[in-house]
Amino acid sequence: MKPLHLFSIFVLVAIAQLFIPSQMILGQKKILSDGTPYKFITQPIDPSDPFKGKYIRLDFEISSLATNDSTWNRQEDVFVVIENDDYGFARVKEVTRQKPEGKDFVEAKVSWYNAYDKELNLSFPFDEFYMNENKAYDAEVAHRDAQRDSIKNNTYALVFIKDGEAVLDNVFINEIPIADFVE
Amino acid sequence: MNSKFINELPELVKHNVISQETASKIEDYYQSKEQNSPNRLFTVFGVLGSLLVGLGIILILAHNWDDFSRFTKSILAFVPLVLGQLIVGYTIFKNRSATWKESSGTFLFFAVGSSIALISQIYNIPGDISSFLLTWILLCLPLVYLLKSNTLAMLHIVFATYYACNYGYGYLNMGKTPWLYLVLLALVLPHYFQLLKERPKSNITSIFNWILPLSFIITLGSFVNGFDEIGFLMYMSLFGLFYNIGKTPFFNNGKLRRNGYLIFGSLGTVFLFLWASFKWFWEENYHPLELTQELMISLFLIVLTSVILMYSYSKRWVKGFNLIQFAYLIFAVMFFLNFGNHIVPTVMVNLIILALGLVTVKIGTDKFHFGILNYGLLIITSLVVCRFFDTDMSYIVRGLLFVSVGIGFFVTNYIMLQKKKKLISQNQKL
Repeated sequence: MKPLHLFSIFVLVAIAQLFIPSQMILGQKKILSDGTPYKFITQPIDPSDPFKGKYIRLDFEISSLATNDSTWNRQEDVFVVIENDDYGFARVKEVTRQKPEGKDFVEAKVSWYNAYDKELNLSFPFDEFYMNENKAYDAEVAHRDAQRDSIKNNTYALVFIKDGEAVLDNVFINEIPIADFVE
Repeated sequence: MNSKFINELPELVKHNVISQETASKIEDYYQSKEQNSPNRLFTVFGVLGSLLVGLGIILILAHNWDDFSRFTKSILAFVPLVLGQLIVGYTIFKNRSATWKESSGTFLFFAVGSSIALISQIYNIPGDISSFLLTWILLCLPLVYLLKSNTLAMLHIVFATYYACNYGYGYLNMGKTPWLYLVLLALVLPHYFQLLKERPKSNITSIFNWILPLSFIITLGSFVNGFDEIGFLMYMSLFGLFYNIGKTPFFNNGKLRRNGYLIFGSLGTVFLFLWASFKWFWEENYHPLELTQELMISLFLIVLTSVILMYSYSKRWVKGFNLIQFAYLIFAVMFFLNFGNHIVPTVMVNLIILALGLVTVKIGTDKFHFGILNYGLLIITSLVVCRFFDTDMSYIVRGLLFVSVGIGFFVTNYIMLQKKKKLISQNQKL
């Protein structure tokens, strides 16, 4: 094959290589600008990813909820309808297998159903918050310290939700962004 | 090596072993050969450099520079990618050397990975590693063919293996099978076949002869979904397939170190047979026969291996009966007939390993190959060591077994050494 033909095919490949990350950015930006923000009360812990770096894994308070329905299977895809409680934090209104209409919801997975405690554990697709490698562990410690100072958990994740998709914007401790809080 | 040989030439001329004319011809030949061959060392360093720079960029970006705004970080994510694309574009357009193609391709490979990873980092997109790897591999696959790059083909196989392991292994991934891994490998096979056709004896082809079977060995376990016991049958069938591929004249006529299929096939078969030489193996792996995914894969591998074996016989590539080539079939029959009687298969497996060891020793002595001879002895030793752990055998019997195998080592090596010396002295007399 001639170099020019090869080059033309390469241009198409290069466009695809640029398209995928660009599409990822645009998708996230749209949710951040048009979505509804919710505050998810959470507990951070600090693991790392070989490619993306250090992050804090967020363990959301609402990821486990009491229900008598025991028909949930591990790794099952579900829709979780979200609404605000009286304090302005997110709470689960309902978990369903049918796509909800006219309500804010996120797609989540069933982690497991605890038959003894009658508790459904969910895994949300926005449980990783990437941080500077020097701050990720400090963030976990800061959350623990902040917990000690107050009765109620005061760490929350700000999540934008639109048409079932969600983007984690930031994590706050005492209303201060976590990256600033640990400095 | 060549320069050493060229340095010897004046001495050979001086002692009238060769003429001055022949010496000049030899010198010219090696000089022209050196000029024509691409600078391999330069390519290796180029690729290593790109590999390190690419990985370094991933790590630097993974630090997470939170002083920059989201926008700046997004732009930064594209910098290595666009840079890599420009260099690769230039390499293709100007049809530069293999060194350029291999190095620029390697750099772009890691740039693609780092840009997707960084975007995921900036926007906190969790996503599991397997889907990230899949996107990455597929976006770089065309580069293997556009640049005719061996490094990229190798990276493709390595990362496809990583993908399969990440997708199929682990407690959370129960019930998931990485079928796409097979598609990924199939997509890189044309490049491998071309290498086998055009450069069957080159070192780079040998590397592929090792990493391809190794990749299959690593990932096959991820195709097991619950019926673990049939995993043994799957692996035995795979090793049988590799051994029989390695025995085809295409691979078998070359050097043994280039034949990863044969070595993996042989080692794997012996290892699994040793595993199965314990009684508990047949007690635990007693199972009702159901047409599960694992059984289907095993049957597919058995049929495929049998077709290759029959073809080898029809082409007279194989003459007579070589036990290790049929080992997978014997194991499969015993596995299917294991309906509760554990003694018969255990005894049979022990006898088969002993036979395998003896046959290998015989091949070693016939070929005057110390490596094969000692491999055969090692098989027998391993069998004896395994029996050492079976406590229901008398200490005296076990002791005698060890002593006799030890003596066997000395005697066979000594006899062969003597034979070889005799042969050399006979050749010298002639």
